Amino acid sequence: MSDPLDHLRLPVIPIEPRPDFAAALLRRIQQLEDPAAGRGATVRYFVDDLDAAVDYYREVLGFEQELRPSPVFAMLYRGDLRLLLSVPGEPHAMPDGTLPEPGGWNRISLNVPDLDATVADLRGRGARFRNEITVGVGVRQVLVLDPAGNLVELFEPLAAYHERQRPTGP
Amino acid sequence: MSGRHEPTPDDPVVAIYRRALPQVYGYLLPRCGSAAVAEDLSAETFMAAVAANSREDPPELSVAWLIGVARHKLVDHWRRVGREARGFAVSGAGDDGVDDPWADHLDAEAAYAALARLSPYQRAALTLRYLDGLPVGEVASFLGRSVHATETLLVRAKAALRRVYQEGEGS
Repeated sequence: MSDPLDHLRLPVIPIEPRPDFAAALLRRIQQLEDPAAGRGATVRYFVDDLDAAVDYYREVLGFEQELRPSPVFAMLYRGDLRLLLSVPGEPHAMPDGTLPEPGGWNRISLNVPDLDATVADLRGRGARFRNEITVGVGVRQVLVLDPAGNLVELFEPLAAYHERQRPTGP
Repeated sequence: MSGRHEPTPDDPVVAIYRRALPQVYGYLLPRCGSAAVAEDLSAETFMAAVAANSREDPPELSVAWLIGVARHKLVDHWRRVGREARGFAVSGAGDDGVDDPWADHLDAEAAYAALARLSPYQRAALTLRYLDGLPVGEVASFLGRSVHATETLLVRAKAALRRVYQEGEGS
């Protein structure tokens, strides 16, 4: 005698989940399976106008947009550097309620092949510079401002420049 | 410039992902009844696959293997959630053969709805045994119980299902 509850048999029928969910989960898996993951650094900058900031980093400084899930957050990449752009708000508040602000003197530092040409090009695109080109330790460098007032340092290595070499090859 | 990550033989979970995710999600969604829960359990399933793949003797990654993991995650979820049915007492014997509501016609949708109101172990046992069609021995091993205890659980679960199903019919 067959069991009437056998009529409840429910074969597996594929169902597409939300595209956002599927994409986010795929990224999580890729990061876990990618042996190069974790080599780069992540920096967060606070900005007041996310659209203006994203446009600036992409078009003027050559970053790629990775994620733009909300009006208050974006994730960009430039090689191994991951730049998070956040609009200050409640999730970023300190326990006493203080909110972070854009600006300050700390900065990310980008290696560019020809500093003079880069500065000329950026000036042509309307970028604001905080100072003139100076000579630092092993580099020539300049400070440029993003639309929110955060500093970005552009540098060109000189003969004395030092950077730890990453192991290459298999 | 390279930014997109293409699946390679080094990423077996990524390689199977596009084909397997709708299957895993499709297994979970009708059984747990919630898109949010189905998403969470799908994510747990693939995370478990990545973890298993990084071990010494990785399993053969297949859709069937992933569904098996999803099944474990589903049972674990029900255990975590705890009793869902409000004030629902599990009855023992006494209902067999009397006024069998599905002798004539079983309304599957009504039965699935009734399932959602059972306690987690009863729901798990009936889901594995009837929705998934697993033999009792496999149901027992998923639940971590003996075959005998599982058979008893199934008897009680069916009685509970019958009662909830009949309550639903009256309304």
